[in-house]
Amino acid sequence: MHYPLLLAIWLLPLAGAILCWFLGPQLKGAAGWLACAMLGLSFVATMLSWSSGTQHVAGHEGAHQLLGSWLPGFDFGLLLDPLSLIWATIITGVGFLIHLYSVGYMHGDRAFARFFAYMNFFVFAMLTLVLSDNFIGLLVGWGLVGLASYFLIGFWFDRPSAVAAARKAFVINVVGDVGIMLAIFILFANLHSLSFADVFAGVGSLSTGTLLAVCAFLFVGAAAKSAQVPLHTWLPDAMEGPTPVSALIHAATMVTAGVYLIARCAPLWSHSSGAQLLVGTIGGLTALAGAILGTAQWDIKRILAYSTMSQIGYMIMGVGVGAYQGGVAHFFTHAFFKAQLFLASGLVIHALANEQDVRRMGGLAKKLPFAFVAMGTGVLAICGIPPFSGFFSKDQVIYGTLAHGHPWLYAVGILTAGITAYYMCRLLFVTFFGEYRGDVDPSYLGIRHPELAGTAAHEAAPSTHDHAPAWIMSVPVGILIVPTITIGFLMAGGDRSWWSRFFAAQFPAGHVPATAISELQTTLIVLAVVVAGIGIAVWRYATRTAQDDAVERLRAESVHMPAILSNAFYFDAALDMLFVRSSQLLGTFFGRTLDPQVIDGAVREAAWSAGKLGTIVRWFQTGLLRTYAFLIVVGAACFIAYYALAGGMH
Amino acid sequence: MLLWMLILLPAIAGGLCYLIPSDDERIVKMFGILVAVATIVLAVVTRNAEVSARWLSRPFEANFHFGATPISFWIVLLLTISTASAVLATKGPRQRGLIALLLLLEASMLAVFLARDLLVFALGWDLMLIPVFFCLVQWSEHAQTAWRYFLYNFAGGLTLLLATAAFGMHVGTTDVIGRSDVHVIGSWAPWILAGFAFAFLVKTPVWPLHTWMPATYTDLPPPMVAVVSAVQSKAGLYGFIAIGMAFLPDYMKQYAGIFIVLGAISLLYGALVALMQTDAKRVVAYSSLSHLGLIVVAVFAFNAVALQGAVVYIVAHGLFSAAIFLLLGYVEEREATRSLLQLGGLGADNPRLAGALCIAALAALGLPGLAGFVGEIVIVTGIFQAGMVWPAIVALVAIVLAAAYVVRLFQGLMNGPGVPDLPVRRDLTWIEGLAVAPLLAALVVVGIDPKPLLSFDTSAYAVSAHGAPVASARISR
Amino acid sequence: MSGALPVAIGNYLGLSTAIFFIGVAGVLLRRNPLVMLMSIELMWNAANLLFLAYARVWLNNAGHIFAFLVITVAAAEAAIGLAIIVTVFRTRANVDVDEVHALRG
Repeated sequence: MHYPLLLAIWLLPLAGAILCWFLGPQLKGAAGWLACAMLGLSFVATMLSWSSGTQHVAGHEGAHQLLGSWLPGFDFGLLLDPLSLIWATIITGVGFLIHLYSVGYMHGDRAFARFFAYMNFFVFAMLTLVLSDNFIGLLVGWGLVGLASYFLIGFWFDRPSAVAAARKAFVINVVGDVGIMLAIFILFANLHSLSFADVFAGVGSLSTGTLLAVCAFLFVGAAAKSAQVPLHTWLPDAMEGPTPVSALIHAATMVTAGVYLIARCAPLWSHSSGAQLLVGTIGGLTALAGAILGTAQWDIKRILAYSTMSQIGYMIMGVGVGAYQGGVAHFFTHAFFKAQLFLASGLVIHALANEQDVRRMGGLAKKLPFAFVAMGTGVLAICGIPPFSGFFSKDQVIYGTLAHGHPWLYAVGILTAGITAYYMCRLLFVTFFGEYRGDVDPSYLGIRHPELAGTAAHEAAPSTHDHAPAWIMSVPVGILIVPTITIGFLMAGGDRSWWSRFFAAQFPAGHVPATAISELQTTLIVLAVVVAGIGIAVWRYATRTAQDDAVERLRAESVHMPAILSNAFYFDAALDMLFVRSSQLLGTFFGRTLDPQVIDGAVREAAWSAGKLGTIVRWFQTGLLRTYAFLIVVGAACFIAYYALAGGMH
Repeated sequence: MLLWMLILLPAIAGGLCYLIPSDDERIVKMFGILVAVATIVLAVVTRNAEVSARWLSRPFEANFHFGATPISFWIVLLLTISTASAVLATKGPRQRGLIALLLLLEASMLAVFLARDLLVFALGWDLMLIPVFFCLVQWSEHAQTAWRYFLYNFAGGLTLLLATAAFGMHVGTTDVIGRSDVHVIGSWAPWILAGFAFAFLVKTPVWPLHTWMPATYTDLPPPMVAVVSAVQSKAGLYGFIAIGMAFLPDYMKQYAGIFIVLGAISLLYGALVALMQTDAKRVVAYSSLSHLGLIVVAVFAFNAVALQGAVVYIVAHGLFSAAIFLLLGYVEEREATRSLLQLGGLGADNPRLAGALCIAALAALGLPGLAGFVGEIVIVTGIFQAGMVWPAIVALVAIVLAAAYVVRLFQGLMNGPGVPDLPVRRDLTWIEGLAVAPLLAALVVVGIDPKPLLSFDTSAYAVSAHGAPVASARISR
Repeated sequence: MSGALPVAIGNYLGLSTAIFFIGVAGVLLRRNPLVMLMSIELMWNAANLLFLAYARVWLNNAGHIFAFLVITVAAAEAAIGLAIIVTVFRTRANVDVDEVHALRG
């Protein structure tokens, strides 16, 4: 079977990237529209491929298109099945909306065309990742999205902080690539094939230890890409990129690649309870750590970054323990509401001339009502208030952990839901409620380094806009509000829901043992905890008294922030000490001491000895012709004498 | 006939460069480019050709026997292309001498890689020192560098010659490269291997015989160092494959542990040192130590997959190191410094320069889709398959370090705030771009479709065939 | 069998040795390079004499061939030697070999 549409989905963004890159100076402002058009066509192609992606042919689900062999005996192809279909829909659909938004957001930037070239390239890379039918293709996509992310984080490359953030993200992502490579080597050494079909068919022949190793190394890749503890430290820094980049790459799509990987490799995880425990635990820890750190941030984008990390922790926890449907469902809803939250924050940042510190906001509900509505629905969705989308998917994950026999993770999930509700409402209340604090002296708000936190350092976009966002930025946000509110209904109805039927073949529900707490009870418990979290946030930030002395309260909170929180649990410092400093020390020692002094020293010593020998031998070289002649004669005489004597002896 | 032309053309043209009676260096450059392009064409045309002329019959048989083998063809192609790029990239007042030396270097290296006779190989090996040595004498600010280069490599040339002579005495002929029926067995064989191996390890170079390399790479003018790092450093690796694996496989395997350890140390050591260098050229020099260490490990894995990967990576490393050195030359020419501490922000005003360096740098760090990735992943798959888990893990650690130092190099040059007191910048001219374009295009092509490079028959090398009927009978005396 | 020689081989040997040592003495004792060159020629010719004598004794033409070779080399050597002497004289206005020691180590 041939599926030309699959090729169209995959290659249209690449064409857009190449055109924008090479024709950028000619296209100027049209580059944005070109990129949007390419991605829009790709989205249409995805929608048109829906039927082939869900079909059943010869016992296999989905559409498979061989492209040819890459290395001898190694075929490369595209595979569109329900799982990759869901991802492709988000990548092209949400990606299209964010591209549209970027046309407004990046308007007037010096490197407008380059931005869209990178964005389209990212979409191409991400589609390579999710459409590949084998591990090598996945690894190629994995590396390329890392590259696109590097380019876009460091997009404003004249800012040292952006450059450093890009480098950090890239290197940590390469650590992940290497993890996947190791898993690939083990798989190839054991199964002699790297296509998904062959590997999953051969799972049974792997020993428990091998399988655990494969899963663990794959998870190193997933953890690096999806910002799981302890490889998460690049994600908050990655917010140095333009806000649409944060929305597309560092919220909706790329950072969920780890979730995709584990869901894709469900046959591996399902056979390894050790891997399930490992991944579920790390996912739970990340969810909790991200949420706790989210409560301690002041930068609007860093709050969202930590919330992304926390929500991906949920997804990883879900797919890790075996609740694949739930984990993927949370990815699906999260893509919408987190993209919307980021785009809404972009509206705020844009309108406030690149201010990102929430302490200097406040009272924006009146100034920016549309941004408030967008942010508000997003917050309700992420908190899991019914009927917003997050409610359905988060419940599935939390209940899934219990159903698969992990009560501790269940507890972590519920606790995290409460903390999430607290810090997201804190963000909403501090930003939009009360009085505007932009004209207050930063030091009154507890901002220690206003020159670092203020307008000058952040988002050095070319023009500052004081006006309300243009329609081109509002329309995508408006469209996103619809799925944020309604998409969860796809998952409503337990086993009979559209979602369950969609994934029935790929992730069969199997026999779920009865649990001590039923799904309905779980829902109620979570809701109660969420309401408690919201309540605390209201009490601290939204009551009349809280709003009246908001400046004083914010200052107190800033000043009394525990060091462990403001240093993000010292993960950065620990990684720096363990890996960066140690390799730098070794490199310096080798380069400054061992190389020039020991190794080369030995060589120089040998050369010096040769020179010394030469000065001794020099004495014979008088430069006088007759001396040489005399020595020759003496030598000849010695020769003759020797042979004459030797001959005489015989 | 054409094959004779291929070898003699650059040799004669190199001599002629000194004789062209013109003060206009552009004529010399045009002449050099024409010759270099002609050698590319000839190299492709003579892919399957062989020529031979008698040289010695006593004490052992040796012939001027030339012809590309399936592996050496790719290196010859790399050599001719990178020489053309280098000639195109020459600049400055002393172009004439540089172009002449480049052509002479090409001729001597063609002799090395096309030789089907060990003695001719050894002859070419020593000849290729000379152009580099004179280049160092004329261009280097440190007199020591030239002598250090010469003495190290000449010592290697000496052991190579001794080993070749011993080989000839044992086998009765040195006209053997490309044959798979000659195996040297006997008490002398380990010494023959040692002689070859020392020469190859110095040339590659491999830790701890590498200290001539950073100084040489730093002091050579960019076009010359591009060719030297791209091709001359591959002579040792090619020797291990075409001579060691083919004629001394048993002893190669017996002593493989030593070489694998040295290769793995180079791999890690080079990467760590590259991480902390401030001279852009030294970063690339030490990264070469690291990358070539990986190929040494791959060769000694005695695994078909690893060997295929080694060939791809030999070509890939040649392409990206030549491109990076040429581009660093452009940077140095514009800014009059190579220090990462002083440079920065070049990307803003030089988008083409930044884009070109970006592609080359990404290939160096093994980005999927470019040639370096194919080489790396095929090699490590192979050495993992051969059961060498620890070298594979060292290689993977080095990949992470490579990402760190390559990104540091790229960002140090191109990103960050621009340095105000640097001279006015000018983006790549079209000639400068044309010089690196073939290298970058080849990186992409090989990255997407590496199959042609993998089509050689590994059974002649990787499979440990014991006892060859023809030669071993003569050896056993 | 050895070929016939009008004079006994011992005489040739004696003459050749005498000429050779006259040449050696000339090289060692004289300081004029021209004379030294001529002395070297004497040594060549002493060897030539022996070559030819023994060629007759052993009826082997190799000796003749070698004699020709020696004459050729001697001529070449004389040419180069004279050229060097002329160059030295031009630069230093003096050809005393004890004064020319620029190659001292």
